[in-house]
Amino acid sequence: MKCIITIELGTNAVRVFAFDLKGNVICSMKGHYPTFHTGPDYSEQDPEQIFITMLYVLKNLLNEKIHPKKYKVACICFSAYMHSVLAVDKIGVPLGNAITWADNRAKKEAKELKNSPRGKIIYTATGTPIHPMSPLLKIAWLKNNDPEKFAQTSKFLSVKSYIIQQLTGEYLIDYSLASATGLMNIHTIKWEADALDYAGITPEMLPDLVPVFASAGQLRKAYQNSLGLPADTRIFAGSSDGCMATLGAGVWDEGKATITIEDSGAVRVVGKKVLQDEQQRFFNYLLTEDCYVSGGPTNNGGIIFEWFANQFGDFKNPFDIDQSMEELIAEASKVAVGSDGLLFLPYLLGERAPIWNANARGVYFGLNIKHKREHFIRAAIEGILYEIYSIGKILEEHRTINSLSINGSFASIPFCTQIIADIFNKPVSLKQNSHSVGFGSFLLSAKEMGIYKSLDEAAQTVELPDKYLPQKENNKIYSSYFGIFESLSTKLFDEFEAIATIQQKNAAEQAEHSELKKIKMV
Amino acid sequence: MNQFVLKQGRCPELEMFPHIMELGTKKNSSIQLNSLPESITKSLRLYYVIEGKFEWNIHHQPHMLYPGDAALILPGQQFGSDKGFLDIGTISWIHINIQKLESGEMVPGKWSSLSENESLAIGKILLLNNSVAFSKLNEAGRILQYIQNELFNKEVGYATRVNQLIDELFITLTRQLTKQSNPARDFPKTFMQLEQTLRQNLSHQWTVEEMAAVVGMGTTLFNEKVKTYSGFSPINYLINIRISEAIKLLKKKDISLTDIALDIGFYSSQHFSTTFKKLTGYTPSEFRKNHLPTN
Repeated sequence: MKCIITIELGTNAVRVFAFDLKGNVICSMKGHYPTFHTGPDYSEQDPEQIFITMLYVLKNLLNEKIHPKKYKVACICFSAYMHSVLAVDKIGVPLGNAITWADNRAKKEAKELKNSPRGKIIYTATGTPIHPMSPLLKIAWLKNNDPEKFAQTSKFLSVKSYIIQQLTGEYLIDYSLASATGLMNIHTIKWEADALDYAGITPEMLPDLVPVFASAGQLRKAYQNSLGLPADTRIFAGSSDGCMATLGAGVWDEGKATITIEDSGAVRVVGKKVLQDEQQRFFNYLLTEDCYVSGGPTNNGGIIFEWFANQFGDFKNPFDIDQSMEELIAEASKVAVGSDGLLFLPYLLGERAPIWNANARGVYFGLNIKHKREHFIRAAIEGILYEIYSIGKILEEHRTINSLSINGSFASIPFCTQIIADIFNKPVSLKQNSHSVGFGSFLLSAKEMGIYKSLDEAAQTVELPDKYLPQKENNKIYSSYFGIFESLSTKLFDEFEAIATIQQKNAAEQAEHSELKKIKMV
Repeated sequence: MNQFVLKQGRCPELEMFPHIMELGTKKNSSIQLNSLPESITKSLRLYYVIEGKFEWNIHHQPHMLYPGDAALILPGQQFGSDKGFLDIGTISWIHINIQKLESGEMVPGKWSSLSENESLAIGKILLLNNSVAFSKLNEAGRILQYIQNELFNKEVGYATRVNQLIDELFITLTRQLTKQSNPARDFPKTFMQLEQTLRQNLSHQWTVEEMAAVVGMGTTLFNEKVKTYSGFSPINYLINIRISEAIKLLKKKDISLTDIALDIGFYSSQHFSTTFKKLTGYTPSEFRKNHLPTN
């Protein structure tokens, strides 16, 4: 019996799945790795820990579940979170930690470039919004602020490129992940000279561009032995988590969109053409040469509701946030649709699409004397989902969306799924407990192995048995409030700037104060 | 409320308890200059507020204490009042000499009936926490009261009982410390705290009990939560950190395998080598050869 292994390098953990050739999950395992915040805008991960965790989890899965059942591993396919940057020296040794997508240190560079004509040209060519998340700006930041490290750097890799290089010795990046670096031209599928020039690098300083189906080389001998895998095990470069989630959710036709909400969230559509947006609000990532995954990301997904539960939920058992959230949702469901006019802007982490404002902050609005505790809960959930709709709404300016496919732990909570159907006024389908990123990787591998003729055919096999239909009366109520939500999100711009400036100033002073105290104690 | 002060070396009541340096209760009804200048001692000090409001500096941090609150001052930390005098009110206190091991760790001492592991864990947690003021720790006040009663009444078995009560005091303080720094809600945050602590003390021979105690959890719940959250048992997660650190060091030429092993918490280079090979398929020296150009 053959099986397909998928490895997802996520933001917090690596997830390894084994599928049989029909797409059934045989088993899965995960391993967490930490993110280090060494400065206010810094967000880094240790590439060696990611590698060792991946290896450990893969090895356990193979030894405990796959080899004993006599499965033969036909191929291994990778996916990874987008926008990471890892500098390595001339012998491939990392120069410090990898910088994750959430790192905001390049915000000054981003602001300057975004408002310049050059920024517009680069966005149009690369499809990646000009934002501190983009490797383009992270590399430019290193050039301007850490010239010593920049000078020592032989190559700038993605985390996935590093992991693959450790396993096989090859330096490569797939078109798909590369299309999220801000460095690749998504029309010509080559490194974009303008962008490289801005970042101060040459093409030799980047890994080789390969298709998602490309073989990523052969496992090093030691790993063949420790993993018990033959030398001819195929390894596919694969894609990004976002593109895989879209494929895995079966969104491949015109007229469909997919909503993913885990900690953060995104609304995505697939098409043969790039979405050109004057205001640079969308990303356009490539999956294959003629297939673009376009959409907008939000910072404020399920993580905001978790924050709410941690602050205001009841914890009957220590650390049992799942139960705490369940109870909050039960309370919220007793409140009328629209929370009797209490609105919540969920911008606790600043926001990306659609307002692209790092200084946006959270707001409760419309509070009156009749509102109770449970209104705050429902309004928080509705606010997170209005924000998702605000991305969907601008996507609809470019594409017709008739139905939605949902995935991610927050979006697939039935209470939330129904609200999404009602706010969007569109039918929603999903499959509970599915893992779209892993399944997308399976479909990609299966296509390459000849099980499906094309990705279109592969995507059509995705079954989404659970349906939610919109309720017209609810949609009316949500629509009436959404207008106010939308106008507040931009109307408060000046106040967001003002409060964020004071908050950042105070935080900096406090940090300085506690540094001084530490010195005094020594 | 009886007022008294017992001092080691001067009071026969403490002869059988060389580790108790001082024990007292004081009702302060007037302000006397220089009654509480800032000081540093070798003993661990605990003050418990019975009445009044006290403004103290503990380890350079200002604290305001009310009845039921307690202050813990570790050996070598500064304690006293900015103003130099003791505020009006009533307090109880105890100063205990604790043992410093060669490794720099603190343990209560030979008189204690805590097991070796428990002693180490308690010492570790006291050292790791900089939070030194406890709010509403009536339990500590009660234990101090019992100790005083035992010392003055000298009923049969009192020597054992006094030491047991001090053990109990340590346990109460430790549990409260971890509870205070951890409200048992946000596990990812708790895990991050643990991760940081492990990294800062990677050469320490961590036990699961110690790791659990650092975040104020019992081992059963701790094991379960770590496994669900990280995918690994606590010890395997620690091995992950150790091997990742090892890889970084192996990629630098100038550090020997034995030094690497000890730095990251393996008790021998053999132990390091076996664990490393099991996970990666390479021995550490093979790994180094494969990842650094030969010259």
